[in-house]
Amino acid sequence: MLEVEHLAKSYGRHQVLRDVTFGIGPGQITGITGENGSGKSTLLEVIVGRRKPDAGRIVHSLRFGYCPQELLIFESLTVEENLRYFATAYGLPRRDLAWREAAQSLLERFRCSQYVRIPVNQLSGGTKQKLNLIVAFIHSPDLLILDEPYAGFDWETYLQFWEYAHELRSEGKSVLIVAHLIFDSAQLDSVYRLTRGVLECA
Amino acid sequence: MRLSRIMVGMAMTARELLRSRLVLMLLLVIPSLFYTIVGLTGTDRLIAFKLAAIPAKPVIEVSERSESLVFIGTAVSGLLASYLALGLMQKQSEVNRRLVLCGYRPSELIGSKLAILLIVIVSVGIYVGGMLPIFFRPERIVPAILGFVLAGFVYACYGLLVGALLRRELEGVLFIVLLANIDAGWLQNPVYYAGAQNQFIIRALPAYYPSQLGMIGAFTAYGVIRPVIAGMGYGLTLLLAALAAYFVRMRVRR
Repeated sequence: MLEVEHLAKSYGRHQVLRDVTFGIGPGQITGITGENGSGKSTLLEVIVGRRKPDAGRIVHSLRFGYCPQELLIFESLTVEENLRYFATAYGLPRRDLAWREAAQSLLERFRCSQYVRIPVNQLSGGTKQKLNLIVAFIHSPDLLILDEPYAGFDWETYLQFWEYAHELRSEGKSVLIVAHLIFDSAQLDSVYRLTRGVLECA
Repeated sequence: MRLSRIMVGMAMTARELLRSRLVLMLLLVIPSLFYTIVGLTGTDRLIAFKLAAIPAKPVIEVSERSESLVFIGTAVSGLLASYLALGLMQKQSEVNRRLVLCGYRPSELIGSKLAILLIVIVSVGIYVGGMLPIFFRPERIVPAILGFVLAGFVYACYGLLVGALLRRELEGVLFIVLLANIDAGWLQNPVYYAGAQNQFIIRALPAYYPSQLGMIGAFTAYGVIRPVIAGMGYGLTLLLAALAAYFVRMRVRR
């Protein structure tokens, strides 16, 4: 599902990732923890192709979903328009009912179906974050790469998120998630800790 | 490249623009405001100048107000188009990058933005040119409008290039305002140009062909093919450079 071998990345003289090697099989939820600035987000950005590694090899499922730490959705478009724009990027046909139903179900699960026709810049921070996450799910990817996806979630949505992650796992899908909270470790099949660019099993 | 992706990209880009009050205000208010100021402050005093793009170099004699209106129309069209192009390139650039990671091709994204930009440029050109007859009767209105559209096109391509190269809005705006101010807003005025030294510098700037085209159209019956082709070539060169910079910036790094 995902194989990362001897990955290295630096910004100028600052080495952010050092010889990072790990893998994720089907139906696994894998967490990456570490202090601020330890290189977690950079690792995910290199995996999805936002940044180029200095060295190393990455092999992953072509059908992946990525939720970045920052809000990367169109603020002046409505929730519905954002979903349609990203669905077009994934190559999902406009009239295809399957993804529309999946998107509707995700909106209901994360309690934002009432906001579909509202521009994102009129939504609360938490609702924006939910949309940021839902955008990564609508094409039913085999591999989900999530960078602190629940920042700003209320407790119920946080629990909903983990319930959904476990459902995906039971369908054989894999999740790679940057996690912070101690509570999260109970939800994960395997945990890695990133310390000054070095990845170790936690 | 999929047409459906370009169409969706166009629809979303258009919605983003239409929901931006600042953009709408700039496009609607600035041209009429500038025309009103020039119309009120310009005089009927006749001024004489020659146009560099006409080989016969006839002396053209028109009122100061008329000449200033055509000149300011070119400057406004160029400035608005480049500001809009800069915004389309810079704003939401990381969200656009996410779209690329999700499967959009950079060519589809830039194609949809360019299509909307061209629609706006032509609309602004027609709007700006369409106001000329309120103040004076141009010799030929269509070539004059073409001059404004060409100014919009060339400066939009410049705005795309600046937007693709610079990430910060303030730097981009400065690059655009400074060049538009000295080029379209000053050096290309034929009255200034006639007495200028080192005229090759002025001829090398983006607004040269559009402003010549606007003046030829508004005040003479001379042919306009040469400035049209040269201006298009200038704009396309900038566009190619902008596309190259955009592809480098948006590429997926795997």
